[in-house]
Parts: sequence; structure tokens; C-alpha cells
Amino acid sequence: MAAKPAPAETQPCWSCGSMGAAHFCEACGRVQPPAALDYFAFFGWPRKLNIDVAALDKDFYQLSRKLHPDLNARAGGQEQEWSLEQSSMLNDAHRTLKDPVQRTQYLLKLEGVEVEEQSKSATEQARATGQMKKQIVPPDLLEEVFELNLQLEELRLQKKMGEDDPALSEEVGRRKLELEEKHEALLEELKKVWASWDAWIDRGDGEQAVAQDERKHALDKMVDVLNRRNYIRNLVRDVSAALES
Amino acid sequence: MSYSDKVIDHYNNPRNVGSLDKSSNDVGTGLVGAPECGDVMKLQIRVNRDTNVIEEAKFKTFGCGSAIASSSLATEWVKGKTVDEAMAIKNMDIVKELSLPPVKIHCSVLAEDAIRAAIGDWKKKQETAKPVAVEAQ
Ligand code: FES
Repeated sequence: MAAKPAPAETQPCWSCGSMGAAHFCEACGRVQPPAALDYFAFFGWPRKLNIDVAALDKDFYQLSRKLHPDLNARAGGQEQEWSLEQSSMLNDAHRTLKDPVQRTQYLLKLEGVEVEEQSKSATEQARATGQMKKQIVPPDLLEEVFELNLQLEELRLQKKMGEDDPALSEEVGRRKLELEEKHEALLEELKKVWASWDAWIDRGDGEQAVAQDERKHALDKMVDVLNRRNYIRNLVRDVSAALES
Repeated sequence: MSYSDKVIDHYNNPRNVGSLDKSSNDVGTGLVGAPECGDVMKLQIRVNRDTNVIEEAKFKTFGCGSAIASSSLATEWVKGKTVDEAMAIKNMDIVKELSLPPVKIHCSVLAEDAIRAAIGDWKKKQETAKPVAVEAQ
């Protein structure tokens, strides 16, 4: 941990005055008051998405040992309270960043992208111009979702009537496998977008400003992949439920 | 979460469930989805060529109770209206009628989108069907 630069926002240690103490002081070991940091900054990392999960886990375990409220019990009221707050933030940060989808969603939120807002503003735009709303997910995916739902309905109905059409169950089972593959493939697609996002982060401050459309493009693409993945995930869930019913 | 009586009524007795012939020239089809929850809604209208009045409307929704109620209500509302009148239906009208809570607003948005999409599809068909006649006027 010591090798990592403390985030710029951190204050000097309240107890001994050493500089750059993020969670606890490197010099005197006292727990610090929690700073208003995002989860990336909490670990002293830039907002990059392709993270080394093993390193994340390692930092997490090291920090959680040092910040454990029980260990800081003897330090008394204030410090114990801080360590409690710090540990709970540590847990949230770790859980969120460890999961690739949650990590991406979290970044989108940090960058001010509200997925639900996008859908609403697209409707407003359509209303104002009298045009058709641009659907956020591609039409062929919608078509696929709709068709499969029809089949599922049929399957459920048959099962309820005690009939069994093996051909239909088989067909739906095959679709389920396809969907699971697609679900996986979309994760790979997401990782490709991470690379272009991370490349943007790696540009210097001056260069980031001129490459704004690169940033926007990457964020839009993330929303797109996550939306499609959402649909597929729900489908897989519904298909499994229908097959087991 | 508790649904209003009107939502429950539409949910239990949905009006106009079904489909119209997608390839027919006087039928417009709107297929829309809400990525937030993964629901899909199909709404179809049959329009009278001479009066532009929507004579028939059908829907099929795979989604939550509010989405089903919103689309059921939407088909009732568009019937008898001209396409232009139907375009004026706003999701907030649906929200009010069904007393939808804030978390269910996106379900009503879906219904508005579906109406608009169905009308858009129908209009596109009319343009391609008689391009010369329109220009001549
Ligand atoms: S929760 Fe999805 S449309 Fe209502």
C-alpha cells in the first residue's frame, strides 16, 4: 500500500500531521476520518475499468485488517467510529469494484450517466419532434425477446394443461444455451469498451479535453452493452423458470 | 407495492389482447422495450384510410402489471381517435388515470412509446404506398 500515492483529496493525519493519510496514517498508525472519495479513489486508483482483481482483493484484505473496528476499539470513541465508517465503505467499494457489471454501472453513475434518464429524455425528444422514439435496444433484439416470450407462454400453458410437447421444450432448451452464450459474449464486448475508456483516462488532462467524443462514445457503448445484457439476463431467468415449472 | 384498483382491473381483464396482421398496409406495429427492467410491449393499430381514424387496436405485453395495464388502457384510448389525436397521448395521462407510483412511471413511458411507434410504422407504410398521389397535391 505504501507505494501507492494517496489521493489528492486526503488531508494530513489529524494526530501526527504526516501528509497524505487516506485511511490510516502510515507514520503513526491512527485511523483517519473518512474522506468523501469515490470507490476508485478509495483504493488510490484512477477511474479505470480494467482492474487487477487479485490486487484489489489484496488491498482489500490488508486494509480491512487495519481498519477493523475491533482492533481500534481501545483507541476510543471517535477513532472507533471512523474505523467503522471506513470499514463499511471499504466493503462497499470492494464488492462494487470486484464485479465487472457493477463496476461499470458505478463508473457510469460517477460520470453522470443515468441509464433510466436516457430512456425518458429519448421519449421527450420523440414527443417534441413528433418522431418515433429511437429505441435504446436494437429492434432485432426486441423482436427476439418478444418471440421467445411467446414460446415461453405456450410452454407454460402446455405444462399447466399437463401436456408436453417435447419438441417445444427442446427448442426452448436450445435457445437457453444460445442465450447463455450471448450473455457471456456481451461481457467480452464490455471488456473491449473498457479498453477504450481506459485509454481515454490515460491521456493527459489537456488531451482529454480535445478527445471528449472518445469519452462519450465509450460511455454510450457501455450503456448499450449493459442494456442488451439486461435483456438477455432476464430472458435466461425466465426461460429457466419456464423449463423447470 | 400495492397496485391501484384500475391497474388490477386492467391486469385481470386486459382489453384488446392479441395481434393484427403485421404485413397489412393499414396496420401499424410498434414494438418497444424498457431496458431498465427488460420488458417488451407490442402495440398494433388498424387505421381507416379515408378518415385516419384508428378503428382497431391490439397489444401484447410481457412485463409488469403496470406495463400491462398501461398498454391495455392505451389501446382503449387510441380506438376511435385519429392518428394525430392519438399522438397527443402522454404517459402522464396514463400515470394519472392508473394512479401509478413514481417507480412505475417508466412502464407508462413504454406505452406512449408504443403508440408513437405504431403510428410511425403506419405512416411509413402510407408514404411508400402512395408517394405520387401525395406529391401531386
Ligand atoms: S417494470 Fe418494466 S415496464 Fe413496468
